[in-house]
Amino acid sequence: MVGAVLLAVPLLVALVGPVVAGEPGGRGRPFVGDGPLGTDFVGRDVLTQVLLGGRTVVGVAVAATALAYLVGVPLGLWAATTRRRWLDELLMRPLDLILAIPALLLLIMLSATVPRGAVALVVIVALIGLPEVARISRAAALPLAHGPAMEAMRSYRESWYRRAVGYVGRGVRRVLLADAGVRFIGALYLVATASFLGIGVAPDAADWAVMVDRNRAGLALQPWAVVAPAALVVALAIGVNLTTDHLLAARKAR
Amino acid sequence: MSLHRYVGHRLLLGLGQVVGVATVVFVLTEALPGDAAVVIAGEQPDPARIAAVREQLELDRPAVQRYLDWLADLLRGDLGVSLVSGRPVVDVLTGNAAPTVLLAAVTLLLLVPVAVGVGMLAARREGGRLDRALSAVVVGLYAVPEFALAVLLVALFGVHLGWFPPTAVGTGGNLLAQPAVLVLPLVVLLARPICSLSRLTRAGMIEAAGSAYVAHARRLGVPGHRLWLGHALPNALAPVVQQLARTTDWLLGGVIVVEAVFVIPGLGTALVDAVTARDVPTIQGLCVLVAVVTVAVNLVADVVAFRLAPQTGAVR
Amino acid sequence: MNPPSLRAAGLSRRALLGGAVALSTAALAGCGGEPGTPGTGPGSPRRGGRLRAVFAGGGANETLDPHLANLFNEASRAKAVFDKLADYGSDVSIVPRLASTWEPNTDLTRWRVTLREATFHDGRPVRAADVLHSYARITDPKRAFRARASLALLDLRTSRAVDDRRIEFALTRPYAEFPNLLASFGAYVVPEGTDTFDRPVGSGPFRFESFQPGRSLLLKRYEDHWDGAPYLDELEYLIGNEESARINALLGGQVEYAHDITPTSARTYTGDDRVNVVAMPNSTMQGFTMKVDRPPFDDRDLREAMFLLTDRQQLVDTVLSGAGQIGNDLYGKGYQHYADDIAQRSPDLDRARFLIRRAGAEGLRVNLDTAAVASGFVEAASTFAEQARQVGLTVVPTTGNKDTYWRDILTNGSLASYRSGAMPIETHISQRLLTDSTTNATRWTRPDFDALYVRAVSSTDEGVRRQAYGDMQRMLHAEGGFLIWGFADFLVATAPRVGGVAANAPANTLDWARFDKVWLG
Repeated sequence: MVGAVLLAVPLLVALVGPVVAGEPGGRGRPFVGDGPLGTDFVGRDVLTQVLLGGRTVVGVAVAATALAYLVGVPLGLWAATTRRRWLDELLMRPLDLILAIPALLLLIMLSATVPRGAVALVVIVALIGLPEVARISRAAALPLAHGPAMEAMRSYRESWYRRAVGYVGRGVRRVLLADAGVRFIGALYLVATASFLGIGVAPDAADWAVMVDRNRAGLALQPWAVVAPAALVVALAIGVNLTTDHLLAARKAR
Repeated sequence: MSLHRYVGHRLLLGLGQVVGVATVVFVLTEALPGDAAVVIAGEQPDPARIAAVREQLELDRPAVQRYLDWLADLLRGDLGVSLVSGRPVVDVLTGNAAPTVLLAAVTLLLLVPVAVGVGMLAARREGGRLDRALSAVVVGLYAVPEFALAVLLVALFGVHLGWFPPTAVGTGGNLLAQPAVLVLPLVVLLARPICSLSRLTRAGMIEAAGSAYVAHARRLGVPGHRLWLGHALPNALAPVVQQLARTTDWLLGGVIVVEAVFVIPGLGTALVDAVTARDVPTIQGLCVLVAVVTVAVNLVADVVAFRLAPQTGAVR
Repeated sequence: MNPPSLRAAGLSRRALLGGAVALSTAALAGCGGEPGTPGTGPGSPRRGGRLRAVFAGGGANETLDPHLANLFNEASRAKAVFDKLADYGSDVSIVPRLASTWEPNTDLTRWRVTLREATFHDGRPVRAADVLHSYARITDPKRAFRARASLALLDLRTSRAVDDRRIEFALTRPYAEFPNLLASFGAYVVPEGTDTFDRPVGSGPFRFESFQPGRSLLLKRYEDHWDGAPYLDELEYLIGNEESARINALLGGQVEYAHDITPTSARTYTGDDRVNVVAMPNSTMQGFTMKVDRPPFDDRDLREAMFLLTDRQQLVDTVLSGAGQIGNDLYGKGYQHYADDIAQRSPDLDRARFLIRRAGAEGLRVNLDTAAVASGFVEAASTFAEQARQVGLTVVPTTGNKDTYWRDILTNGSLASYRSGAMPIETHISQRLLTDSTTNATRWTRPDFDALYVRAVSSTDEGVRRQAYGDMQRMLHAEGGFLIWGFADFLVATAPRVGGVAANAPANTLDWARFDKVWLG
């Protein structure tokens, strides 16, 4: 229940915010108390920025998590279910390479190389998350793929699809769901940290993560400019995790 | 597979991995816009001057040739010299390693008991109010980027209350001379890994507690705390050990930010500076170091997991 | 040079300009040279103590080579350990340093410079040979030092040492502004034969003690400095790249001086008795470059429309938090030769719309290149884009890579964010606005303008020169490619007991980031 509320508020602001925010007004002085939440580091109304700023954060984090799963899970399942050892190695070793490079270094270098923008950020964050997703899917699927049930299905000449997706895929669902919550927060974190390092989205974009970073200089003058977007990001993260926990517990109880 | 053959196999793989990382990083640095000559020119981007600097730094040679030379030097144990200062890269690494290693070591030292403790506490009260509260707190901390947490802690405990030094400015990298400067950076570094480790512990404990093996022990009349500490915990720890290995990567990420906020002259700072300056040999040297550490830590973790639970399929 | 009177001048100047950064009362007392309250203010100058100053820095690979100086901390260190022959005064005119006099021949092609009596830290006297060695090192074509372009007019093969204290410099063409060359950024004098700087030896007010690259540099007072020994016993440079870290270190008592703070921090700690803020007006020119050699800004009407649509006061209020003055599309407000007789431009949206229509540029869409190179860059770009929207122009701020920004905008694009620290107006023109300038970011190539420049620098008549500088600036104001909307104050923060930090010192001038006249009360 708490989780649902924590999740719903930031999602609602992100989705409906841009509609109700209206045209951005003029600029006043930075970090003063005009308006309900004051002004930000370039004198814009913080409330408007908060309403406008959820879409990119939520959008990038959701899209990046989804993309990582879309590519990572099939890779992991394929590697786990194949009986060819070399194919498994071929699929997993290049991903290990990415794992051995610190995520933030990848983030710094890749975002300096590719053109700035939300799409590029989605791809980079997904790429950083991909090896972990593939590894976890593979690890969860391995015991199933080589267990007695699988042998039985194989002897009954069940199709690869039924075996890999139907049986193994269903078996790893719980692990992946539990992982997805953490992975999503990881994506949120990367988006926000990218802003701190001065990469990713434009430094004056209406974006909760960017707002936390850019307005922290005025923390003592005008705390709302930091507190409001930060609270929404944290609520989103806690909400996602409490909700996935709840779903898992409910499934287990059934 | 015997443990010896396994380790030998993994070491060979690790070597390949380090060279692979070096190659990927080299390609990435080559793909970065501009080079050291452009950065050195800065606000005076006189084309003739850029060309002169490029020639002086031998950046006008083909990338493949520079890479092969670097690789040949690496195999001889020579990491080359910085493009910016001309000092050996090894000096940069050794000069900056101490604060980072200290931070990482103390973080890991504190991390394991705290995270395992929180995880056990939550598992014992599964579904209860304490479990949910702990879960919310650790997940909340996980979601807060290091820089935001650091800024808040510095504003509150460093500047407003004055309990701890707000930065490490002036310690010259010798953090132990003034241990109080370590407190806030450590809290920031601990905040995120605690989440994943404590949740893994919790899940592992719950699973182990529900297993036939623990149920059997319970039927035999083993008292509650011994059941938890002596039987459920060791089984729950195998995945935790492997996750701990992953944490070294996170630590480096966190260290980059923590070092920037608290002004600690360590490896993270050196890495960011080197990328900004397009100082390719220094970037390469740092990445080789990180890759070696990552490979070694993962190897140790896998060996420990292999010993803890040989049947789990961690090794295939 | 008498520090208290200088600071008093700085105070009155700031009052005249109506500088918007409020200073705490303690700072005002300190700047005015009035006796501070015991225990809180710096009081009158006294000897002793170690001042710890935190700057943004160059990391583990920085060096102490003064000819490589580029960043703020490198410039300040070079100034502490070394001397130039001359330097920039508070109006960026030239004040003598190691050189006591300079005299040209009749056609301004040979200049005779006399050195004052000064010694290096190892006791050796500063001689003509040291100066010639230093300039030869800077202009070495294989080395590519930053100051090389500034010394390009020197013909060192035919320059010579007349005796130990006198040098005759030969130039490749007549040059009335020869003193500018002596004061140029990075033109420091090092002892003859010096090529390594692990333990630098200079003639400056502080001598080397110890150095940890990327961490700290410790210097000690040089008792025999020709300009009088510093008040401080020791000066320690520390590194803090984050602005928040620098101000926090000051608040936490870990340093006594924090260089380069934001207007927001200045506002936050106004009235806080732990911090004094010193604002140095006219420090950093803020603007945009329009490339005049290509569409769309090859159209003079469109350039004028851009000048007229700009709400300069709004840019100063939002981007600089009020810590600055508005600009008039001319470089060097408050500097020697600045044309302050040209009327200040104010927004005129109707005329801007008319000019846009006449240029056929209605509905124009143009990219504005910017990057997080300096604080306020991106903010200025997005504020300006909003202003342009009011007259129907679509300006799209495009954020590029910060490390290679200056090279990228030199040749690419048509509209870009720009800034510059202080330098003489003549230097600004010769480096950026002549047909053969190496960093001509507006692509301003006008034979008539070049001719005016040649007239200015080859005349011995001060009146002729002033006239030529005025004419050049009128051309630039009417139709140039620099849209200069403001001049930012440079802000430093100090502990209340620090005295002698000059306010009337634009960035890059002699008294900026200078510590030999600073004391700890």
